[in-house]
Amino acid sequence: MIDVGNLIQGTRIHGSLYRDPEVFERELNEIWYKVWVYVGHESEIPNRGDFVRRMIGRQPVIVVRGADGTVRAFFNRCRHRGNMVCHADRGNTAAFTCPYHGWTYSTAGALQQPTFEDGYDSKLRREDFGLVPLPRLDAYRGLIFASVSPEGITLDEHLGGAKEFIDLFMDLSPAGRVSLTAGNQKVRYAGNWKFMPENSMEGDYHGPFIHKVAFELHSKKTGFDVSSLYENEIPDVIRSLPGGHMVEDYRGATIAPPKRPPSAARIAYADAMKRAYGEEKAGKLLGTMAPLIYIFPNLMYLMTHIRVIAPVSVNETFVYYQPMLLDGVPDEINEERLRMHEFMFGAAGFISPDDIEIMERIQTAVNAGGNEWLFIGRGAHRDTVLPDGGSTGYTMDENHIRGFWQHYSGVMNAGA
Amino acid sequence: MDEGRYREWLDLWTDDAQYWVPCNDDDIDPAKQVSIIYDDRDRLTQRVERLLSGSVLSQQPRPRMRRVVSNIEIGPASGAEVTVESNFVLGVARNGTKHVWIGRSIHQLREDGGTLKIARKKVLLIDNDQEIPLLQFLI
Repeated sequence: MIDVGNLIQGTRIHGSLYRDPEVFERELNEIWYKVWVYVGHESEIPNRGDFVRRMIGRQPVIVVRGADGTVRAFFNRCRHRGNMVCHADRGNTAAFTCPYHGWTYSTAGALQQPTFEDGYDSKLRREDFGLVPLPRLDAYRGLIFASVSPEGITLDEHLGGAKEFIDLFMDLSPAGRVSLTAGNQKVRYAGNWKFMPENSMEGDYHGPFIHKVAFELHSKKTGFDVSSLYENEIPDVIRSLPGGHMVEDYRGATIAPPKRPPSAARIAYADAMKRAYGEEKAGKLLGTMAPLIYIFPNLMYLMTHIRVIAPVSVNETFVYYQPMLLDGVPDEINEERLRMHEFMFGAAGFISPDDIEIMERIQTAVNAGGNEWLFIGRGAHRDTVLPDGGSTGYTMDENHIRGFWQHYSGVMNAGA
Repeated sequence: MDEGRYREWLDLWTDDAQYWVPCNDDDIDPAKQVSIIYDDRDRLTQRVERLLSGSVLSQQPRPRMRRVVSNIEIGPASGAEVTVESNFVLGVARNGTKHVWIGRSIHQLREDGGTLKIARKKVLLIDNDQEIPLLQFLI
């Protein structure tokens, strides 16, 4: 059996972690089928009977708001012969009926009717054949997480210090609520899933290289200049949280403000924020960029959207970009957010496709083997270790990536 | 589009251009729903500038591509405008792989200074609700 600990040596990572099918199988069992995995947001299923279909690793899952208003998650599999009982991406239903032999389940998972029931002996108890619920389900500020394992730390413990950063982007809404109702850009790439968090959380280092032209186009149009971020590197931007979570916290950085005067909608938004949070907190929320965050293993918040990572195989990944609309703001603000999102993200955006191209190129290189080690040592000599066990680093440092791998190593070897 | 003649392509558009590739469904409200592409003239110009800059990594080297346009239906003219619908099959070859893009285009053409220009183009990809690879060229 692979000793993952040997493949992760502080500032160096072994290429096989991105290409070895055995590593991927271990990740399914030790990560995807054990830890808390993000499966959706409550705004996606606001009404009784609303459901979305999701994947946890290879497991098809249904997340549904029952007729009683309670959110539940089930393995998407008929208890009779294993067919998926739900094939729609999302929708509203009174019940899930398996199309194969007509077994029907309530939105609470109860088997209502095995068809031609008189052919089964009296020992068939309906209560033994309900949809199987995910063993654990919990939510934080509308973000729903599930775990395939009945045991483990609570969601509260899993999120830990990350909650403070989730609050910061949720509080961009004066109502403290966001909606993921604006659709879902779905992208696939030929690379390992771990490239996505590694890349997405170190944009300041690679930004001036692969995103230079997009930054320039943006700056020319809006006057919003991000070059100060990497020209004046400062401490405490990059943060590693216990639990493998990563943060880019720009609140201490100087970002040149846009040169244009604010629109009427912006002024109304700022006023609503002041009413909701008071002058000081509203000023801080609007005057700085909300920290970008990665929650181990599959959830990210980046500027305009919630991003979800779904591993398909060791060298194929699906990624979902769901724009985050703010509740309680003028419609123009959310429309601006959508247009900004399309500028940067999705298959046809001007930023994330260059990241994905890099991930595919790294995959090609690590597939070859030999010359195995990848280096994640930037800032290792100046990490500031925090009392919670996390660390902070300068704007372009890689301490959070080291934290991610350290956590990964612990989780992967836990069952060994 | 298939030969990378981006500037000439940009000249085909009116000043109030709208280049739209909906996401998740063919009929969405772009004010409330995200699109794959929703460009006005400014964004379209940025798209072309970015392609011409040589900085788009998935276009280095530029993929070979060819499309077939068929089933062309020309609607009745209304004033200076006419709607033309067509189907396309676009093959893109790169790095030893080929990807086929399929969809329907709806062009709103307008007579402008003695020539026809594109006022609106809406592209309905058959897989706009699926996981798609990078779309870093003109569709």
